[in-house]
Amino acid sequence: MALVTLLTVSLIVFTLMELVPGTCAERYLAFKNTQGSQITIADIEAEKKRLGLDRPFPERWGKWVYNVFVHGEFGDSCILRLNINQLLADKFWISLGICMAALILSYAIAVPIGIISASSQSPITNNSLRFVSYLGLALPNFLLALIIMLISTVLFGDSLTGLFSKEYRDAAWSWAKFGDFLSRAWLPVFILGWSATAFALQTVRALMLDEIGKLYVTAAAARGVSGRKLLWRYPAKHSLGPVINSLGFDLNRIFNELPIVALILTLTEAGALLFESLARSNDQQLAGAIIFLLTASIVALNFATDILLALIDPRVRRGLMG
Amino acid sequence: MTALIEVKNLTIQFRTDEGLVTAVDDVSFTIDKGQVMGLVGESGSGKSVTAKALMHLNARNAVYSPESRITLHTENGPVEVLKLKSARDLKIVRGGAISMIFQEPMASFAPAITIGDQMVEQLMLHSDMSKQKAKEISVEMLDRVGISDPARRFSQYAFELSGGMRQRAMIAMALSTKPKLLIADEPTTALDVTIQAQVIDLMKDLVREFHMGIIFITHDLGVIAQTADKVAVKYLGRIVEEGPVREVIRNPKHPYTQGLLAALPKLEDLDAPLTPVAGDIPSPLERPSGCVFHTRCPKIIGDVCKSKLPHHTQVDPTHRVACHLHTEVPA
Ligand SMILES: Nc1ncnc2c1ncn2[C@@H]1O[C@H](COP(=O)(O)OP(=O)(O)OP(=O)(O)O)[C@@H](O)[C@H]1O
Ligand code: SF4
Ligand SMILES: [Mg+2]
Repeated sequence: MALVTLLTVSLIVFTLMELVPGTCAERYLAFKNTQGSQITIADIEAEKKRLGLDRPFPERWGKWVYNVFVHGEFGDSCILRLNINQLLADKFWISLGICMAALILSYAIAVPIGIISASSQSPITNNSLRFVSYLGLALPNFLLALIIMLISTVLFGDSLTGLFSKEYRDAAWSWAKFGDFLSRAWLPVFILGWSATAFALQTVRALMLDEIGKLYVTAAAARGVSGRKLLWRYPAKHSLGPVINSLGFDLNRIFNELPIVALILTLTEAGALLFESLARSNDQQLAGAIIFLLTASIVALNFATDILLALIDPRVRRGLMG
Repeated sequence: MTALIEVKNLTIQFRTDEGLVTAVDDVSFTIDKGQVMGLVGESGSGKSVTAKALMHLNARNAVYSPESRITLHTENGPVEVLKLKSARDLKIVRGGAISMIFQEPMASFAPAITIGDQMVEQLMLHSDMSKQKAKEISVEMLDRVGISDPARRFSQYAFELSGGMRQRAMIAMALSTKPKLLIADEPTTALDVTIQAQVIDLMKDLVREFHMGIIFITHDLGVIAQTADKVAVKYLGRIVEEGPVREVIRNPKHPYTQGLLAALPKLEDLDAPLTPVAGDIPSPLERPSGCVFHTRCPKIIGDVCKSKLPHHTQVDPTHRVACHLHTEVPA
């Protein structure tokens, strides 16, 4: 199932890459042109042949898919003329890691607080929670990032931008570099997690309130079930399914917010690179690779949540086993 | 006959955004050990709210009037239900001496917990038996209510059972703790007619066997006639008539009861048009003054009905009615 989705995605991505006006060859040579070289039609034809662009669409798609799926190889970037895998290197994994960390952080906070707040009668708890989550929703991520940078520049003389300190930026991976990375990565994780938490909190709370109102909870109370057991074993357990269902959607949203935050914090990660390659240089090969990787991560996450769902919900489980 | 539960001057209002809504208004009744009482009335007449009050189970926005009293008589003496506070004390009326079956058997089981786990959980809450013993009793109860292959059903989920079977499982669960009072809130409305009849028969058998009191809530006077000893008719939160089933059905005194009976299909004359009680139920926010039924009453006497609340009059020692037509000294 997940594989079929991935293949479909690859087809869509590849078609989109094709739809961008002009081919890779034309683009590269046009780029060369602006650099001062003299280009002829013959040059373009030769370049097309070299890149295999004269082959029919299905063949090129098949080749692309084959390279991606079997070798994990995305080919060369159109403009930079560098291997995409090398170009992206760790950047993609770093940004995926940051997004996942923000997602995990937001649910680690939202699930317990959402569940408890939904069952709480105290107006103080409810109103302060409402205030915090409005703040989370209303305060845009980029503003938060700017505020934190400002404060830290004033207080510590370090703007906390970038994912690595100067001395590690070009160093090879080592434990020291990893430590340095962690000491800086918390900031984008925190900023991305901020509004994600507010969203997740609202989702969890709404789903819990929905569950608490259901008859089986009243029926359990009528049998004498009470207190923590009535909260966790009944509505909480049952609201978990829809919460898990919303994870893929949330990861998607965090990914979307990553470029802006990355821009401000000058993180050189995939999101910003994607924008750059799309907007500035029309580098369809690179953009396609990034979009495909993003979608693949979301498909993979959805696959994982489906398995989780089957584990906690007997209806899904029995449905799968027939 | 000894009283099992006594309800006196029960008045329940709900705090809502639109203001206080009266759901139960000055209701009093008594159920004896082993007696079956039917509670009838249109939707919104406060049947479920009354029933839940017996378990002190109404929503958080419920307000009980200070005169309201519910007394449950147990082997260890009387218990004032509305004074119970802690979860431990409430257990006696929640699954201990009182059990409740809800209208929708599907929705009353937690979907992701097996039938058996929910039964065992209840048994262990109300006694100090071992898990093994609780399982034995649960399977036995499932068998007793006519569920085939009870050991397999025990480890299944509600969605894997048919509607009738779910309601049987619900009955098994409700009776497993051997309650003294069973509240059946429209236990058969969600079932089709043949299954309805089976479930009603099953309940009649079990009452006899366990010698329980039952409150049977329904819209359907026909079902009451088959099952109950006495009946209370509710309208807009008030009991307008109460008496032995035969007496009330043969000799209804209140115009509303008469309307309900006229609405029943007659076996002798199936072609006769159904004549439901005419008019709309007033909104709970606009409670009529005087007799709450006066906006729809075909026999309304005049201003007295609109201004003065009719008190209960005993038409005989067991049969009472609240209507100015039967007040001894009409004002
Ligand atoms: N939690 C609540 N908040 C506000 N109003 C409530 C609440 N619970 C019940 N009510 C109101 O109390 C009234 C009586 O409701 P109840 O459920 O007892 O009716 P019923 O006789 O059982 O009707 P039905 O036959 O439809 O089950 C209704 O008007 C209902 O809207
Ligand atoms: S008191 Fe009046 S309005 Fe009410 S039921 Fe009797 S006759 Fe009808
Ligand atoms: Mg009801």
